[in-house]
Amino acid sequence: MIDLELQKELDKNLALAARPQVRKVFQKAFQKKKNEMIAEFLNHPVTIEIKGGVNAANISGTLGGGSGNLFSFIGFDSEDDPIDPILRLLESTNFDYVKASKKRINYRINIPTAKDVFSVTPMPWASGRSWAKGIETGISGLGFYLRKKSDSSRSGIGIQSPRKVRKGGTKFKNTSYISAFLKKYKKEFENLQVL
Amino acid sequence: MKPQYQHELMTSFMLWFDHELLQKGEAYSNQTGFLYYDDDSRLPSPYKAYASPYKQWVNDSSIFGETNPVIPTSFNGYDRTDDIIFDFENGRIIETGGAFGTDEVLSGTFAVKDFNIYLTNETEEDLILENKFEVNSRYLMNPSAVKPYDQMVPAIFLNCEFMRNEGFAFGGEDRTTNMIKAVVLAENSYQLDGALSIFADSARKVISKIPFSKHPSTEYNDIKNGSYNYVTLSNTYLNSNPYYIEDVTVSKISQKAQSKIPSDLQIGFIDFEISTNRYPRS
Repeated sequence: MIDLELQKELDKNLALAARPQVRKVFQKAFQKKKNEMIAEFLNHPVTIEIKGGVNAANISGTLGGGSGNLFSFIGFDSEDDPIDPILRLLESTNFDYVKASKKRINYRINIPTAKDVFSVTPMPWASGRSWAKGIETGISGLGFYLRKKSDSSRSGIGIQSPRKVRKGGTKFKNTSYISAFLKKYKKEFENLQVL
Repeated sequence: MKPQYQHELMTSFMLWFDHELLQKGEAYSNQTGFLYYDDDSRLPSPYKAYASPYKQWVNDSSIFGETNPVIPTSFNGYDRTDDIIFDFENGRIIETGGAFGTDEVLSGTFAVKDFNIYLTNETEEDLILENKFEVNSRYLMNPSAVKPYDQMVPAIFLNCEFMRNEGFAFGGEDRTTNMIKAVVLAENSYQLDGALSIFADSARKVISKIPFSKHPSTEYNDIKNGSYNYVTLSNTYLNSNPYYIEDVTVSKISQKAQSKIPSDLQIGFIDFEISTNRYPRS
């Protein structure tokens, strides 16, 4: 009968010996999940709408689905690409080897947090605020109205006075976005296993 | 309707906010001057209001600084025993017994807040772009009574825009998170930076949950029992499930945006994320 300590050592050595092969298999599964995460982000209605720029329709329903869109409502310049910093953060998701034990090899997944995303998504008119967080907790129409004064609307859509817009129904409706999305994928990555 | 969670949160938060700004920033100045008769149609007919050129007066006796704030208790010998109400919110006194005419000569010293604090439901765009505020100026050429009930700047407007309950523990305990947004309208950059700095440092502090019934003000904005001390009141309730400031972000409106705003006010934002654990379904 093999001593229990020896068995543990054998298991660990076995895991260590298999590390390069396991890494390859894990890398494949990890990449698949990462691609899935990025695809889901890019297909989120808010992402699509903002990526669509000044001419996008309000497919996210955050503005009541009427005229106008998030890109203009938040107050971005037409040449801005607000999605790119989030995409780059998601693409930076990676994993590290942690330890081998009991025939297992453990990896740590480094996925951005919601706070990381909020720090790279400043409002165009108040850089300490995050538009991505605002999607979840509420965005005032200030950015929209500030463009009224700008050189014939940089984002290219019509301007109304604050009261007209508010009473006319262009009131922002919160929706879940980054926090719920990252929470979901954090869990999915944690449950990622290869045999 | 009896007071709900949100009511208690906002009143507790406002009392804390006011105290924090006054104490940390010594954001007040003592002013000496006359009170002017002001006809206020909302008051019952025998009531006479005499207002200072400023609002709001400091009413919290726990505030101290290099110069302590003067919390008025009498004007020209008239105090609460002479049917006088001190309306700290509107910077005035109200005589309720019918003894005053419209030509009393009243003067005294009182501490005026650097920032008036208001709860609001107005949108940020309405506050910043639509409203025409009077300025609580410290340098008056022709002092006169300020109109009651109008909001005056410099001011900070507090609004709770978001609330979420998430499961926290078995047995029905939830974590309740609120986003409280403050819009700061300051007279200059120094004032704005000061307010933003004070509250940027307030993350991870706790705020006592002060019962609605223990709010220090009366319906006429006088202080109950003639004295109010935030520290004493807060300490009394500090252990009864306080609110926790999870996160604070402060931000100034960009220079580019500032140039498009039709006033000289300097604008900033303070966003608080407040949480507490509770049993909302019990």
